[in-house]
Amino acid sequence: MTNDAANDDSAVPIMCAAADLSVSVETAATGYNPALQRIPQIDTNQVQLNTTLDYIPAWKPRRIPIKCIGLTLPEGEHFLPTKEAKESASDGTQLRRINPKANAGANSSDRPKRTRIKPPSGAVSLQDRLFYLLQPPLETWLAGQELIMPFEPFPYQYEGIAWLFARHSALLADEMGLGKTMQTITAIRLLLRAGQVHRILLICPKPLIPNWQREFRLWAQELPIVTVEGSSSRRRMLWTMPGVPILIANYELMTRDLVEIPEEERPKFDLLVLDEAQRIKNRDSRTAQVARDVARRRSWALTGTPIENRPEELSSLFEFMDVVPSRACPDMRQLARLADEHILRRTKDLVMTDMPPRIDRDAELQLTEAQTSAYESAEKDGIIQLNDLGDAITVQHVFELVLRLKQITNYDPLTGESTKLERLTADMEEIAASGGKAILFSQWTKSLDWLDERLQPFNPLIYHGGVPTKKREPILDQFKNDPDAHLLLMSYGTGAVGLNLQFAGYVFLFDRWWNPAVEDQAINRAHRIGQKNPVIVTRFICAGTIEERIDRVLREKRELFEAILGDGDNDNVSLSLNADEIFGLFDLKAHSKDGARSIGPANPKAA
Amino acid sequence: MSTLEVDGRGHVGGLLVTNHTGRPLEFQCTTPVKPDRTQEILYGQSLRPWLLGELIGGTLLNRVSIKPDLVVVCDHEMLELRNHTRTPVACLDKSSSEFETTVVQSIGGRQLRFHDEHADDSAFVESRAHLVPDQADLEEPLGRVREALSETVKTVLAR
Repeated sequence: MTNDAANDDSAVPIMCAAADLSVSVETAATGYNPALQRIPQIDTNQVQLNTTLDYIPAWKPRRIPIKCIGLTLPEGEHFLPTKEAKESASDGTQLRRINPKANAGANSSDRPKRTRIKPPSGAVSLQDRLFYLLQPPLETWLAGQELIMPFEPFPYQYEGIAWLFARHSALLADEMGLGKTMQTITAIRLLLRAGQVHRILLICPKPLIPNWQREFRLWAQELPIVTVEGSSSRRRMLWTMPGVPILIANYELMTRDLVEIPEEERPKFDLLVLDEAQRIKNRDSRTAQVARDVARRRSWALTGTPIENRPEELSSLFEFMDVVPSRACPDMRQLARLADEHILRRTKDLVMTDMPPRIDRDAELQLTEAQTSAYESAEKDGIIQLNDLGDAITVQHVFELVLRLKQITNYDPLTGESTKLERLTADMEEIAASGGKAILFSQWTKSLDWLDERLQPFNPLIYHGGVPTKKREPILDQFKNDPDAHLLLMSYGTGAVGLNLQFAGYVFLFDRWWNPAVEDQAINRAHRIGQKNPVIVTRFICAGTIEERIDRVLREKRELFEAILGDGDNDNVSLSLNADEIFGLFDLKAHSKDGARSIGPANPKAA
Repeated sequence: MSTLEVDGRGHVGGLLVTNHTGRPLEFQCTTPVKPDRTQEILYGQSLRPWLLGELIGGTLLNRVSIKPDLVVVCDHEMLELRNHTRTPVACLDKSSSEFETTVVQSIGGRQLRFHDEHADDSAFVESRAHLVPDQADLEEPLGRVREALSETVKTVLAR
């Protein structure tokens, strides 16, 4: 009924009906209560009916107030479109878009794996964490129309890219050959696309600059890169030139040039990447100091050997990464905790289960007659000279004797006899006959030149620090493409890092380096991703010589640092010799009127 | 666009605007929205479409500064949003038996359904299907939205 109707009396119908009001009363037969037999009297009162309700429930729809939290993601850098997938990269590599498995409907088990970017633990603000959570899975991101990849990355590489992308301080310490370069380039590429970085400085050893240039062309050909080189004035211009997304320079130029630029004019970077970051393992070195002084927001370090000698080397890397205070000396437990958060290390054993094996074999050789004579004479004379020095002896004196003896194990300088050359020639004949290729490492360029003259039937190529930088790439190209070039002679210093020589199936370590980690780096030029066949590694060790003694010392020390870098990492972290151990290679005694006593270094760790 | 029910606190909604390759451009999410008892009684079966589609969805769509060409939802009750916006709205067809809608379009490896009263949305999507990469998965960004909502709720509740 409406209110209008209720107020209009004439509209209200009056309902009347007769009611039977008779009441029957039954009483008990005892008759105790005769009053109950009286007819009850009923009175009536007239009551006015209400024509309006006392309470009208009212409800109006109301809009629930809603608050919003918003995040606008930064606009990324735009680059010139890449070439069509059917075209080739500059090195002839066929480019294509990654094409993950098509969606398989609702069946989640058939869906391709997705690698998500996780917020780092250091991302505190909600906006920061949302930024990472909202990024697409890498597989779909890299499969997008705007990015072309030459090859589908391996799952562990996707994980590495996602890990790098989310970190301001990172040490990518994958074992050599697992693609640190590619993971870094792709992470940089995605950070640029996501607008997180705009200006990047990449520092690497000088011999590796062509390698980085090549890898950038291969993996991110749309990214403009500028290499710092040329005259001093030109370099100054390049350092400070605006609008350059990626600047590549070598360690020496970084150390030399940046300090000469007035502080207020020094370039600032969103990301500084140090390749072969073991170069700053000594925190007091000029290189380490300059690297730490570069203005930057993100600090990444790349190395396959985060610890070459002492755990303290990690402290220097952590200091560069701004995760420990200046001059901090974290203990082993703290280092392990920092490593968990800031180091990503994978070994081939863990991630490349289908990679061809590396077969190591130690070739124990007997010196030739002439070599034996020369060796024994040199050792005897050398020890006498060292003993005569008494307490004036330094590690340098001992070191010189070690070098002299090692050189004789390579070949006798007087007669040219060499047991290693004989064995090498025999092996090379077999390798060349099968069309194979081999890399040989020595610590002496002189030995390499000596070998070059004697191995001409195998068309050897030489690659060491004495070869001008511009000639190095053509040498590698010839080694790769010339079917008659069977042997590449390399020095550890120049050839051990950063080069991709996975078409070579044989590696010879003509003489031993002081640190097995460096040897591993050398071996991994061949034993790396892309290698289709087992890699045979031959270490030449002359029995009963200084080589055998050094090898024994190094082997005994290989497992010391497992605690820091975790399981499965026994083979690649190792120690080089310190002064005490170098002295220990010989039984040195100072003779005096009081008798003979052992002599050793004043500071055992001063090597 | 997706929503998430928070225990005892109602629903939160999130809208992630992406480009055609799935790259995120903007994200908006709501604080928890909980209808009172009267609303639950009076809205009856229309409560969830009103809450998720009109109220949460409408708020989010108004709020974003980058207006999307198409809104993809995972809950068919959110298709109600289409009655309050000119932007086409599509629902991922996860279980067709739940749906009363009959207009279906296949894109990005998924079946999309549209509001019956806005069948033209299907033609609109079809006209722009070439912009979506073959390997795209339209459901994947909704997972990101749900993850971001969980993170937001967790952070807000911890304060």
